[in-house]
Amino acid sequence: MSEAVVTAGNRAVPESDEGYANARLRGMRSHLLPLSFYERLIEAPDLNQVVKELMDTSYSGDLEDQLVHGRTAAVIDEALKHNMIRAYRKVLKFLHPNARMLLSTLLGRWDVFNLKTILRGAHNHVAFDDVKSSFFPVGYLSAEELEALSKLDDVRVIIDTMAMWDYPYAAPLRRAYPEFSKSNDLAPLELALDRQYAEWAASRLIGEAPDVDVARRILGMQIDTLNLVMVFRLLKADVESIDASGYYLEGGRVIRKEQFLELARLSDVDEVLDRLKSTAYAEALDAAALRYLENASIPVFERALEDLLMRRALLSGVRDPHGVGVAIAYLFGKQNEVTNVRIIVKGKAVGMPADRVREELILV
Amino acid sequence: MISKRFSKYAFWGTFLAIVLIPLAAFANEAEAATAAVVTTGAGIKTIGAALAMGLSAIGAGYAQAKIGSAGQGTLAERPEERVFVLVLTALPEVIALLGFVMAIILNG
Repeated sequence: MSEAVVTAGNRAVPESDEGYANARLRGMRSHLLPLSFYERLIEAPDLNQVVKELMDTSYSGDLEDQLVHGRTAAVIDEALKHNMIRAYRKVLKFLHPNARMLLSTLLGRWDVFNLKTILRGAHNHVAFDDVKSSFFPVGYLSAEELEALSKLDDVRVIIDTMAMWDYPYAAPLRRAYPEFSKSNDLAPLELALDRQYAEWAASRLIGEAPDVDVARRILGMQIDTLNLVMVFRLLKADVESIDASGYYLEGGRVIRKEQFLELARLSDVDEVLDRLKSTAYAEALDAAALRYLENASIPVFERALEDLLMRRALLSGVRDPHGVGVAIAYLFGKQNEVTNVRIIVKGKAVGMPADRVREELILV
Repeated sequence: MISKRFSKYAFWGTFLAIVLIPLAAFANEAEAATAAVVTTGAGIKTIGAALAMGLSAIGAGYAQAKIGSAGQGTLAERPEERVFVLVLTALPEVIALLGFVMAIILNG
């Protein structure tokens, strides 16, 4: 796959000085909202006050562009999304080519996210506008290409269109399609996307350079997260009748194939948590186990793992202050900020209690 | 790209410092040689002065190039920090000044 983001518009990208990029990223990071700002937003009486508060931040330009369409949560959401995409593209433009390659590899996960959104939209007959509002076109496919795909209302046609574009995700989707058409379940297609991304990203993050190692750590954690989420999902499946090895993604940092297969054979959450005691994920999963006891919902573990990934990604800016770690930390920090503000805006729009909103935020 | 411009200025500044100052020094020495016998010690002093000036200018140029490019990165996002960035960029001039003082002391 190519770096679609940085070559967008066929503009030549100048090679940037590392000191310049590092200082600029630190400057951008200093504009990220402090935790106290979230509290101000939560305490705001209505959406108008939320908009007023946001107008004093780096979101003001995007809000001004979008507010002509009204002052609804959807409009604010769109402005936040635009701001995030703009920030990502800006970073990719001034980064050194090596760092840009590493970052665009990590951002490839947004391609998977976008494609899953399109496939789910087509499969569940979701309205085009709703699918479109969920895109984050910061990967290989442009916003126009994503829109074109989301206008198609049949999974097979979407896959064929991607194949026509010679898009690398088309081949694995085609291979997984018969299983999908048999079960009418999107899981095989989504797994095919995850596997393709894991393989593609691993093939790009090769070498012993410190920057590559930092990026590989984050990728490894992403893949571990996917594998562990799969383990928790398999708890509710009939493991005897399925081949768990088909669900394993190579390239994880901690979870190896043997351990994955062993975990997949278990049928109880406590057993899984016990087997993961010695891993880096134990603390986060144990904390989530308390919430699991309250509502027996597997997604609490998914959320806990994603929060942990976010924390580790933000820490990479401290551990690698002169390298790509600063850029990774900024991009994850921005994503975290936008996610939090979106949660607050949506909560405000539906009248969610303040305490419930606070619970949903990722405060790192 | 900004740092490249800085590097270019630093290079030519250093080049002039390395080439012209020793030339001027040797010119003085040559004049002196017509009046008196040039001692080995005086020649070494002159070379030392040239090295003090030249190397300190190289060091200052290198530091300014690095600080300058990082400063531009900072200013792109935080223009309110311009005074701070300017002070930091000018700071390595002290290195060149110290080299200059050393050169004068050696030739004095």
